Amino acid sequence: MSEAFINGRAIIPLESETILEAAKRLSVEIPTICHSDRLHAEGGCRICLVECEGEAHPMAACHSEIRPGMIIHTNTEKIETLRAQLHELYDHHRESSTPCSSAAQETHPYLSLDLTACINCRLCLNACEQIQGQFVFSISGRGSAKTISIGDMDTFADSPCVACGACADICPTDAIIDRDTLNNGDHQKAVTSTCGYCGVGCQIEVEVDVDANDVMSIKGVSDAAVNKGHLCAKGRFSHSYLKSGDRLTHPLIKSLDGSFKEASWGEALELITTTLGDTAKKYGPSSVGAFTSSRTTNEACYLLQKYFRSILLSNNVDCCARVCHSSTALALQLVTGTGAASSSYQDIEASSCILVAGANPTEAHPIVGARIKQQVLGGTPLIVVDPRKIELTEYADVHLQLTPGTNVALFNGLAKILYDRGDIDEPYLLERIENYEEFKVFIDTISLAEIVETTGVDLESMHKAASLISSTEGVGTLFVHGLGLSELEQGTASVMTLCNLGMLTGSIGKPGSGMLPLRGQNNVQGSADMGSMPDQFTGYQSVADPSARERVQKIWGSLPPEEPGLTIPEMIDAAADGSIRGLWIQGEDIAQSDPNESHVRAALEALDFLVVQEIFFSETCHFANVILPSASYLEQEGTFTNGERRIQHVQPAVTPPGESLPDWLVVRDAANLAGAEWRYQHPAEVMDEIARIAPHLFGGVSYSRLKKDGLQWPCPSVNSPGTSTVHSSSFLRGKGSLTTIDYAPSSEHHVSGYPYLLITGRILHHYNVGTMTRRSGQSSLTSRDFLEINPEDAKRENIRDGDIINIQSRWGQIAVPIKHSARTAPNTLFLSFHFPETHTNQLTGPALDPMSKCPQYKATAVKLLV
Amino acid sequence: MSIQCLAPTPVTTRRILTDKAGKPATPSYLGLHLALQSSPQQIIETITASGLRGRGGAAFPTGKKWQACAGTTSDQRYIIANGNEGDAGSYIDRVLLERDPHSVIEGILIGAYAIGASKGVIYIRSEYPTATSVMKTAIEAARDAGHFNANDFSCEISVVQGAGSFVCGEETALINAIEGLRGEVRLRPPYPTESGLFGKPTAVDNIETLCNIPFIIEHSANQYKRMGTSTSAGTKTLCFNHGFVRPGIVEVEFGTPLQTAIDAAGGSKSPLAAILLGGPMGCVIPPDQWDTPVCYEAMQARGYDLGHGSIIALPKSADKAALLRHWLSFMADESCGKCEPCSLGSKRSCQIINEPWNADSQKQLNDLLHLIGQTSLCAFGREIPRAVSQYLDIFHDEIFTPKSS
Repeated sequence: MSEAFINGRAIIPLESETILEAAKRLSVEIPTICHSDRLHAEGGCRICLVECEGEAHPMAACHSEIRPGMIIHTNTEKIETLRAQLHELYDHHRESSTPCSSAAQETHPYLSLDLTACINCRLCLNACEQIQGQFVFSISGRGSAKTISIGDMDTFADSPCVACGACADICPTDAIIDRDTLNNGDHQKAVTSTCGYCGVGCQIEVEVDVDANDVMSIKGVSDAAVNKGHLCAKGRFSHSYLKSGDRLTHPLIKSLDGSFKEASWGEALELITTTLGDTAKKYGPSSVGAFTSSRTTNEACYLLQKYFRSILLSNNVDCCARVCHSSTALALQLVTGTGAASSSYQDIEASSCILVAGANPTEAHPIVGARIKQQVLGGTPLIVVDPRKIELTEYADVHLQLTPGTNVALFNGLAKILYDRGDIDEPYLLERIENYEEFKVFIDTISLAEIVETTGVDLESMHKAASLISSTEGVGTLFVHGLGLSELEQGTASVMTLCNLGMLTGSIGKPGSGMLPLRGQNNVQGSADMGSMPDQFTGYQSVADPSARERVQKIWGSLPPEEPGLTIPEMIDAAADGSIRGLWIQGEDIAQSDPNESHVRAALEALDFLVVQEIFFSETCHFANVILPSASYLEQEGTFTNGERRIQHVQPAVTPPGESLPDWLVVRDAANLAGAEWRYQHPAEVMDEIARIAPHLFGGVSYSRLKKDGLQWPCPSVNSPGTSTVHSSSFLRGKGSLTTIDYAPSSEHHVSGYPYLLITGRILHHYNVGTMTRRSGQSSLTSRDFLEINPEDAKRENIRDGDIINIQSRWGQIAVPIKHSARTAPNTLFLSFHFPETHTNQLTGPALDPMSKCPQYKATAVKLLV
Repeated sequence: MSIQCLAPTPVTTRRILTDKAGKPATPSYLGLHLALQSSPQQIIETITASGLRGRGGAAFPTGKKWQACAGTTSDQRYIIANGNEGDAGSYIDRVLLERDPHSVIEGILIGAYAIGASKGVIYIRSEYPTATSVMKTAIEAARDAGHFNANDFSCEISVVQGAGSFVCGEETALINAIEGLRGEVRLRPPYPTESGLFGKPTAVDNIETLCNIPFIIEHSANQYKRMGTSTSAGTKTLCFNHGFVRPGIVEVEFGTPLQTAIDAAGGSKSPLAAILLGGPMGCVIPPDQWDTPVCYEAMQARGYDLGHGSIIALPKSADKAALLRHWLSFMADESCGKCEPCSLGSKRSCQIINEPWNADSQKQLNDLLHLIGQTSLCAFGREIPRAVSQYLDIFHDEIFTPKSS
């Protein structure tokens, strides 16, 4: 017999299924207290006990396996009596006991703790361990005296807590509660949307007070593929910026005296379209350009690049992917045929080995970081390649702590070790990869002794790493990487040599392995996809490609030239020298975030005409002629594409303040004022056009198909479910290509008089230029950028923790407070760029990857003026 | 302390009996060397055929446990010797650890060979410091004699000290303790034979069980099986507390009536109301039932539980209420906290008997004990209420009749 029975109803048990799971399939409700579907069974409250005929004792449904032949009853009189008695026992205990720390905690910006309400269900502890992986909670005491304890000092602030909110979300009482829930009543509506912070693209449920037009709180969508109900402190809690008093609410036009005056949309758009049109006519289309925003929707990016290409006939369109993962996109496009991740986040849970290079996901992509951490805690080997001892190194099997900017040397060294040991997937290489013969010749010329010298990594560690990434019996390794590879003069080369390892180990095109670059912004993948590239239309079609031009011509009615336009760094140079006169910068604060700040400011100053489309008056706004107020991601509709090529729906939860408008609408109205006849009434129609412009990638994408979990491109037809693993049968370019390229030190290496290499980057608490996070509770957690220095270096230089120190590069000088940090290697420094007053990018310079034009943020020669 | 053997052939007491001077002699490890000449599977079959069952209290067939562990696919397995002997009045394992450590070591090594474990851990409760230091010395001696590396079979043994927890005698809590985690019970499945110490297949065996192993290998399963009953093979070591004329350990063949062992211990010093057998999770046996054979099945048939075999004299003159209070406060103190019925229920039961007694109290207490027994996660929570209920059945009049204070 294959059936079991629950309350008389038959069910065929699945493999390793619990009674509770089987009951759920039958819609039979069994009460629980300490149980959550997102966690392993705890088995402590015993409320889920059921009777099973033939068993001496009742069985806990949450952790007892259901087997064929079992006859189970979930609410007999005996069970009901036992449950009632248990509740009575628990109530009696709570009424009669006084916990040790009875003072409620009010010190954290987001989380409130009141142990008098705790029922010791351990959901918080288990969520913290099994979802986030922070291990903040512990249990003190034995038996009835046990209590939940937090960190060392019983406060969230002094513990490893990252304020992800998973505990507050899952706590069934008021013991742990987040302030959004504490301060608000019942919400009137809930809107499902996509988070607008980082490129992970978590699905959020936004609870709204419609009358007050207020976001009350944000929760994770529990069955979303990307985040399964989990969120980070930014996505969950940092939304108070929406109501910040300094939101831009009206279009602003700069008057002759330099002050900004409010204007109507009609006036502002008239000025913009006329000025840009006149400039293009007088000085040529190459005298104007646009930076589309990697934080706004696909539809807005598509329309802005369409405006410049089809109306002004200029290919000068670019986006901040340029200064971030442009090396990655170029490298992947050249060697695989797609400039995006070959894998998806679900490959983390399917992986047999993970290598993280130049990325710090537990700080910059928290949900992906948590998923990697859980997989590694479960036994999957981890190799970390990073100049810093990032959090993941505590969980890693080997940390290759290399000198900044020497990735190419390290990856060539690992390739040589793999090849010499025969630890390569020979059948895969012969069948699917080209240039293998040349590569073998090249490998022979590599000297491991030189690699050790260049990178500072010892041979034994390299061997260990090589043996781990290759020992996965046909499954391959998941290569996760970040800006530590891309933002270098050898950025493209770094990613190409990492891809070499992907190919040598047979990793690309299989589930559980492949290339997974962690895209930064919430829609940087999308804005690049939309054609915010000087040399490519939407869908990465070359502007010179005849069949692409034919299709675009049919749909747009006009075409830009075949020559590519300029990239962002080139546009800035051109602005500085006067060949670019007009720019439209949508949602990007280049005066704070682009390298070589003095140069950027001078370039912006030199422009004849600058349009800035923003939610706050940013550093870049100072230089604008027209400022257009934008709706934020919680206030407009459209789509974002995350780092795993997943196009997801964005829906407005509240209406934008004042006169501010969704970005796509502003561009449409500007275009129509300029004489185009853009009839889109809704962003869905823009997506329909995107699907027609680039059918090979987006042909099957439409809003009606974007329910639950969206679609991962390539999605070429309406029958396609999207693509999780790319290049699975063959590479999109046919065969994958191995690259032979030598390490070369950058222009910032070995600069006499500047002994330190500065790495710029991000910290957990803030996001990019901090426009949103500085205006939220995050500020109370961290309120400045700190220069992190190795404690031995600090000792030698006589610099104490907290001292304000002048730091100088060949490009500029700033003063910053110091933080001693053991995670920083000797002779390197780390500085974040979240606060405008730091002027971090005064230090970074003009060093660029010649192929991708990506700036070298990750290695700048500096000295400390002590 | 007296050491006696009533069985036809001594098994656990064989080396202790002959050692008059009280110092353990270093044996030849013949059992180990014989075992290494057979295959691991053959050893498992021998132990299975012998009918040996776990002596700690659960009485699970040892061969079956070793077979389950050996049958896993794993790069590492462990064997753990459970020396957390926590039952009140139980000191059988202590005597074996202190007086015959080499039988324990030899049993571990044979077991390690059988299941394919390269590491053994002896977990000894912190209240047995002498046993710990004797065992450490014996391990050094065994290593020096080459027994940890004989015949291509390598096994290292280490000693881990407990930290004052009764529940850490439960195999999953013990494993948690060795891993440095809270000494709380784990959910089963998975069973330790599948996923135990550090997630690897692990066999956890009681000290006394392990002491039987070398004998079985040296003398054969059949010889072992000739002693005992059809369901409980071999011998059992009982221990008697100071309420008896000759306190000490007595090894008996299974099937021997309790009375015979009691007589060997010289009978009680004063008239007894009952004996407490098997500690707080055990049972209460009045004198008219002392003809019960020492045997798992025979005892179960009468509603009794042999447990680990400790025997405490309960004099007629003893304060039965005081014992009840002690019993319940023991439960409350030792409850690990993993599940609520036991941790909260045990505390509540103490409150009930310490509050002024009224007409409802007895029913309250009985209902509560029933609740804890039915709903708790592990044997601790299931068995102590059962034992206390049995005690109350016999002595409730004496306990609950108001006395002049």
